[in-house]
Amino acid sequence: MGANISQLERDIGSEQFPSNEHYFGLVNFGNTCYSNSVLQALYFCKPFRDKVLEYKAKNKRTKETLLTCLADLFYSIATHKKKVGSIAPKKFIARLRKEKEEFDNYMQQDAHEFLNFLINHISEIILAERQQNSTANNVNKSKNMGENGTHVPPEPTWVHEIFQGILTSETRCLNCEKVSCIDEDFFDLQVDIEQNTSITHCLRCFSNTETLCSDNKFKCDNCSSYQEAQKSMRVKKLPMILALHLKRFKYMEQYNRHIKVSHRVVFPLELRLFNTSEDAVNPDRLYDLVAVVIHCGSGPNRGHYISIVKSHGFWLLFDDDQVDKIDASTIEDFYGLTSDTQKSSETGYILFYQSRESL
Amino acid sequence: MRIMANLKAGSQNNRKKVQVSMVICDPEEKRHRSGVNALQIDPLLDRLYSAGRDSIIRVFEHERYFHGMEHHTDWVNDIVLCCSGRNLISASSDTTVKVWNAHKGFCMSTLRTHRDYVKALAYAKDREQVASAGLDKSIYLWDINTLTALTASNNTVTTSSLMGSKESIYSLAMNPSGSIIVSGSTEKALRFWDPRTCAKLFKLKGHSDNVKALVVNRDGTQCLSGSSDGTIKLWSLGGQRCLQTMRVHSDSVWALLATENFNYVISGGRDNKVIMTELKNPQNSRVICIEQAPILKLCFTADQQAVWVSTSDSNIRCWKLPTDKHFDENLPVSDKPISLIPGGAAIREAVVLNDKRHILTKDASEHVALYDVLQAKKVEDIGVANFQEEIKKRFKMIHIPNWFNVDLKTGMLTIHLGQDEVDCFSAWVSARDAGIKDTPEPDSKVNYGKLLLQALLEHWRMVQTEADTKNHFSVPKHTPLILSEIGGRTLYRVPVGEAGGETESALLNETVPGWVTAIVEDNCNGKFIKIQFYLQPHSSVPVHLLKQDRIKKPERLVANDFIQCKKVAEHILEKLLGDGNASSPGVDGDSSPPTSNGYGVDHIELSCNEQVRYFFSFIHIVEIPKRFMKTLELNHYKKYTSFENDTRILIS
Repeated sequence: MGANISQLERDIGSEQFPSNEHYFGLVNFGNTCYSNSVLQALYFCKPFRDKVLEYKAKNKRTKETLLTCLADLFYSIATHKKKVGSIAPKKFIARLRKEKEEFDNYMQQDAHEFLNFLINHISEIILAERQQNSTANNVNKSKNMGENGTHVPPEPTWVHEIFQGILTSETRCLNCEKVSCIDEDFFDLQVDIEQNTSITHCLRCFSNTETLCSDNKFKCDNCSSYQEAQKSMRVKKLPMILALHLKRFKYMEQYNRHIKVSHRVVFPLELRLFNTSEDAVNPDRLYDLVAVVIHCGSGPNRGHYISIVKSHGFWLLFDDDQVDKIDASTIEDFYGLTSDTQKSSETGYILFYQSRESL
Repeated sequence: MRIMANLKAGSQNNRKKVQVSMVICDPEEKRHRSGVNALQIDPLLDRLYSAGRDSIIRVFEHERYFHGMEHHTDWVNDIVLCCSGRNLISASSDTTVKVWNAHKGFCMSTLRTHRDYVKALAYAKDREQVASAGLDKSIYLWDINTLTALTASNNTVTTSSLMGSKESIYSLAMNPSGSIIVSGSTEKALRFWDPRTCAKLFKLKGHSDNVKALVVNRDGTQCLSGSSDGTIKLWSLGGQRCLQTMRVHSDSVWALLATENFNYVISGGRDNKVIMTELKNPQNSRVICIEQAPILKLCFTADQQAVWVSTSDSNIRCWKLPTDKHFDENLPVSDKPISLIPGGAAIREAVVLNDKRHILTKDASEHVALYDVLQAKKVEDIGVANFQEEIKKRFKMIHIPNWFNVDLKTGMLTIHLGQDEVDCFSAWVSARDAGIKDTPEPDSKVNYGKLLLQALLEHWRMVQTEADTKNHFSVPKHTPLILSEIGGRTLYRVPVGEAGGETESALLNETVPGWVTAIVEDNCNGKFIKIQFYLQPHSSVPVHLLKQDRIKKPERLVANDFIQCKKVAEHILEKLLGDGNASSPGVDGDSSPPTSNGYGVDHIELSCNEQVRYFFSFIHIVEIPKRFMKTLELNHYKKYTSFENDTRILIS
């Protein structure tokens, strides 16, 4: 391992090695690569790392939560004496297993499920702590708000500021042709994929008009009955960090299990969204790819997760405790397979795009 | 493709679960309740046929209501009068096409070939052929003479199907000689077939949205289409191209009519306007009328000098058309309709009151009314009123589970009973609360679902087991009883008064689900669900009032999911409260109030653990004598799916 570490430093070069940056692998505790890969990707989503470290600085003596464990982990990487090495996220994993039953085993887990859980859980912790503070400090204020009778939506947490976007679904009844819109918050977009396409294409399909028909008709208030309707999902508010989940695990009825879809889906280093709504707040946001969680293997219950991240202009591959510098051209290897003959593949699974203005 | 269309409702074997429903309506619904989707005239008898969302086809003779034709159970989307006015064909969202004797007004047969809403019909007069199309993407061609010859024993009919449409069909047209048929769909293209050979001919692209109206000229050389993209297009079928695109409406075009010589097109749109446009010179267009709602259908009067206009509102108006002279000399046309067939108001909102028996409704004219589900009739006209206030006024401190759903698709109240014995028989009340007076035991339990089913099926098989179990409620004989597949096709519809007839009875035997038959015939009481719960003294209850041995360990109690508070109160007095002076929990209340160290005994208050919000789904309130006092807390640990909103019940 020692040789490897020095190898990484040698690869980067001592003059090029960014100051104040640390590249640490994470030790695997038996099928915890789903967590390691996502944590590395999140660590290199700078706005997220900064906020976690800020939280660590502000909350010295709070009771242990998954967030404090994460903050401690990030802190120990960020403040490590050494530039490279590996670290064991022992406390974090222990806490995770306590928090969520599903993760309390040594089974292979889904990285996207973990990401989803982590982001939601952290925002809940922040909201709960905020509420605690406000009730402790400011009883009268909250009481006044209640008397007003208006529901004030909770102020967004920094997790929301980083990851949350808004999807709007427009439904047009095909009988009376009235359009109704419903907004919906999201932390990531779950995108169906097609063979030999690009993520831009898949996002466009994501927003394609879907017809609600047959047994799935739309209950139109104006018609007081079920009618056919056209529905489309568009992005109304683009998040600072856009997490795209490629739906690579598809349930196949004939096998009675999930099958990995290794379709080749190109993800560019730069991305602009085209599936925005007309009233979108920031439709022209330009995104840069900053991290990719990669699934290696043949199925959801088998295989391995690794991640590649962009840091200070070069790309790194994190494979549990191993860290390697890779060439940007290597990213193409993770697009997927052009034909479905091979069983195993190394494919991009969760893409993290960061908006350029926040870089 | 030739296929066989089976007229029977579907075989017993692979039958889906059956839904029992009824419609609360007047004996004769003379006015349309909601939008009118289709119009036809019979010039010989001066009749206007109209049909729409309330499922009833109405006939107006000399502009006066003549009769109604009821058999559909959902919107009627289109009608065609054929055989010189003898027969009428109707297409409905209940997925059926029906053949009617138009003169006498009865349904001759029902075609169940379509698998989704039937949206449009087309008629080839010279060949007496009708085509039907709809959301199942299929077009079927029917020979009317075969259809009218169908009988109960000879009930299969051969139909041709026109294949090729990839999306739901919303419009259809044929020329009188039946040499060409065209369909309009969400595909945005027009598709053409030759009905004589069923050969697919070609498709024409050009519209950018759904095509909702079509007309073909007599010789089948030209076609007009109206689309949700707001345009009307004139097409040459020989040249397979668009000759003219007309933008006269500011919104979707939903209805089209062309003069016999294809000189003018009359169009109706979502913009409430009816506009007449000269096809050779589209700049020459005139607004005929501005209605109060989007235009759904247009139909010439017999002399072709005026048009009947129907909208998504229920009124049907007749408007004078401008003549060539009006066009040429730009003369004004009257802005008043020349006649009006007034419609009624559709029920737009319905709230089931928490007694789960009465429904408060508000109709399109803002009138509020109260309906009783058990009697299937309106019990109070409240008039224009504040709907929310009226709901509040009728709020009762009571919780009864839901046992039916309300559907307003027809503008009338359609009541769908719970889909199985658990849902349908969930509402138990005391006979007294149900308003049953002549019962020996006012506290005996009755079940709403059972009471209604008995009333609905009263005339079927004439089941009367014993004299004293005679029905406490009856519903009007005209009330339509509907049996359908859950969320799907109608199996059978019959007015309850006719259920005793031979054919009706037989069909009911086939369709009524077993659990319904069992409850109606066997007079059994359904199953009770036992629930465990605990009674605990509330923290505010002084300890010395209670029996000491009960304080430490609350006794686990078991009861039906429906028990009366009085029973609970009796239990409290007997078992939990100390000093035995509350020995007679009768209703008489003669004895002096027991006192304990100055505490007056006024009432018992039952409340439930605030987290356990579903609790009172099984408590039902009856009067409690004033002299019982205490606050007790009840806890129980069974979750209930059908809880509503009541968390706390006071008895005083």
